[in-house]
Amino acid sequence: MAALGRASSLLSLLPLLLVPAAGAGGARWRGEGTSPHLRSIFLGRCAEYSSLLSPELRDKNCTAIWEAFKVVLDKDPCSVFPLDYDLFISLSRHSIPRDKSLFWENNHLLVTSYAENARRFMPLCDVLYGRIGDFLSWCRQENASGLDYQSCPTSEDCENNPVDSYWKMASMQYSRDSTGVIHVMLNGSEPKGAYPVKGFFADFEIPYLQKDKITRIEIWVMHEIGRPKVESCGEGSVKILEERLEKMGFQYRCINDHLPVKLLMCVDHSTHPDCALNSMILHTRPRTCGCGGSPVLLH
Amino acid sequence: MADHRFRPVSGEKPCCDISKKAQICLCVVFGLLVVVIIAVVVGIVMSRPPPQHQEWKGAGTTAHFYEIILGRCYTYTQIVRPELGHKDCQKIGKAFTNAFLSKDPCSSTEQDYQPLMELTNQTVPCDKTLLWSKTNELVHEYAWVQQELFTLENTLLGYMADGLRWCGDPGSPEMNYQSCPDRRTDCSNNSVSVFWNAVSKRFAEDACGVVHVLLNGSVHNTFDERSTFARVEVFNLHPEKVHTLQAWVMQDIRNISSDSCSDASIKNLKLILSKRNITFTCENNYRPIRFLQCVKYPEHSSCRSKI
Repeated sequence: MAALGRASSLLSLLPLLLVPAAGAGGARWRGEGTSPHLRSIFLGRCAEYSSLLSPELRDKNCTAIWEAFKVVLDKDPCSVFPLDYDLFISLSRHSIPRDKSLFWENNHLLVTSYAENARRFMPLCDVLYGRIGDFLSWCRQENASGLDYQSCPTSEDCENNPVDSYWKMASMQYSRDSTGVIHVMLNGSEPKGAYPVKGFFADFEIPYLQKDKITRIEIWVMHEIGRPKVESCGEGSVKILEERLEKMGFQYRCINDHLPVKLLMCVDHSTHPDCALNSMILHTRPRTCGCGGSPVLLH
Repeated sequence: MADHRFRPVSGEKPCCDISKKAQICLCVVFGLLVVVIIAVVVGIVMSRPPPQHQEWKGAGTTAHFYEIILGRCYTYTQIVRPELGHKDCQKIGKAFTNAFLSKDPCSSTEQDYQPLMELTNQTVPCDKTLLWSKTNELVHEYAWVQQELFTLENTLLGYMADGLRWCGDPGSPEMNYQSCPDRRTDCSNNSVSVFWNAVSKRFAEDACGVVHVLLNGSVHNTFDERSTFARVEVFNLHPEKVHTLQAWVMQDIRNISSDSCSDASIKNLKLILSKRNITFTCENNYRPIRFLQCVKYPEHSSCRSKI
C-alpha cells in the first residue's frame, strides 16, 4: 500500500476488449457493448486521477466533466462526432509536461508499462481525458433512449460512433498539447506494418502536432522478443512515416529497439537469447535525420 | 415618607400588591420573556457549528474516497478480472465505509472489516502469491509485467484500498477529511493499519504452493521483524498448503555488494520458516527483475554485461 504503487495502475488490463464478432449472437453492432456501471467507473477514475496523481488538478469538477460527457449517451450511436466531446475535453484537459509525450501504435500494454503511470512518460492513457475512457465502451441504443449494453458500433459499422469520435477528439487534443521532444513507439513485429498509414496516429495526431512547440520527434521501432522483425527504421511503413515527417519539416530520429524499452520486454523473456545483455547494445544505434542533409545510417 | 410600597396586604400573597389586570399583564410579559429566552438559547444551540472532528497527527481521509473505491471496484471486477463480475460493488462500498464510520478510529478491530472481507473473497491460484517488503515500487512494476502474479494490491480489496487513507469519528456520521490517526504518534489500532493487517493475514492464509517474496538487499534490515511481512504474513502461511517460500533479494543496481542471501536477517527468516516446516530458498538479483531495474539505468555496467 503505497502512494503511487498500484493505486494508479488502473490499466493493469489483462483481457483486452473482446474481438468484435460481426453480428454474433444477434448483436446489432460489432463492438463491445456499453461498460456496466459506466458512470461509477468514470467518476471514480476522474476523482482518482485528480486527487491522487496530480495535485494541481484538484480543481477539476468531475461531476461537470461527466455531465459534459454524457450528452453523447442520448445521441444516435452513428451520429456522434468528435466535436460532441468539445465541452468534455475543454473541462478535462490539462497541460502535458514537456518532452513527456508518448505516441504509439499496436503496443498498448508495453506503453503503459514503460510510461510507469505517468512517472516516466505521459501517453494519452495517462492524461485525464485518456484515463477516463481507457478500455471502456459506450453507446445509446439505435432506436431507443437508454444505453446499449449488448454491442456498440465500431468504425466498420459506422464512422461517427461514440467511442471512435471520443478517441479522435482526445488524440487531437493530446497532440495539440504536446511540446518538446515527441516520442513514438511502434511495433516492428506487426505483420501489417509498424506505422499504420490510416490510423489514429497518422490521421488524428500527426496533423495536429504544433511545429513551433516541438523540438524533434523520436521514433522507437520495437520488435517483439522471439518474433520476426517485419520492419525496422528506414523500411516499409516506417520509411513512409520518416518521409512524411521530413516533408512536414520536423527533425526526427529513428531507433530500433530502444534499449530501456527492450530491457522492459526482457523482463518476461529473461532467458531468451535476444535478452543476453551483451548482444543487445550493438543493434540500438539510432538512425538520424540530419534535416538538411541525407539521413545518416549508423550501426 | 410614603411607604405605600410596603403596605402589607392582608391575607393574600405577601409580595404582590397590584391589581389583577396588572398581575395578568406581568404574567404575560414574564411568559413572553421565558419564551424569548428559550428561543434565543435554542437558536444559539442550533446555529453553533457541528462538533469538530477529532484532531490527529496523520493526513485525513483521501478526498472523494467513496467515488474512488467504487470506481476501482468496478474497474477491477469488470475489466481487470472479469471473472469477478458477479461481485456487488455497491454492497462492497457500503461494507467498507460501515467498517469505520461513526467509530473511534483508534479502536478499530478486524471484526469491523469482516463483512467487507466476506464480500471480497477471492482465490489466488497456487504458486502465484507475491509478498514483498521494502520493495513497493519494484514489486508492483514486476506484477504489472507478470500479470499472473498477485501482490496483495492486485487482489480486489488491496486494489481498492491501495494508497488511500480513511477514518471516521464516533461523534459524526461523516469521514474525517482533516486528519486521521498516525500509526506511531497517535495509535496503532487505527482504521487503516488494522485493515492492512487483516487483509495481509487473509492473503497469507489463502496462499498455497510456492510463495514468492521480493526483498530489498540494499537496506539495513532486509528481513525486518517489525514489517507486516514478518509480523503478519510469515506467521499466517499455512505449512499444509505452502511448502516453499522463495525469496528474491534485489540490490540497488548502482550499488551491488555482497551476497544478500547470506545476510544475517535472511538466515533469521530461514530459521523461522524451518520451525514452521516451510522450505526456504533464496535468489540474489533474480534476473527478470534485474531487467526491470535496468530500464531505469540502461547504461549501467551491470546492464551491459551478461549476468
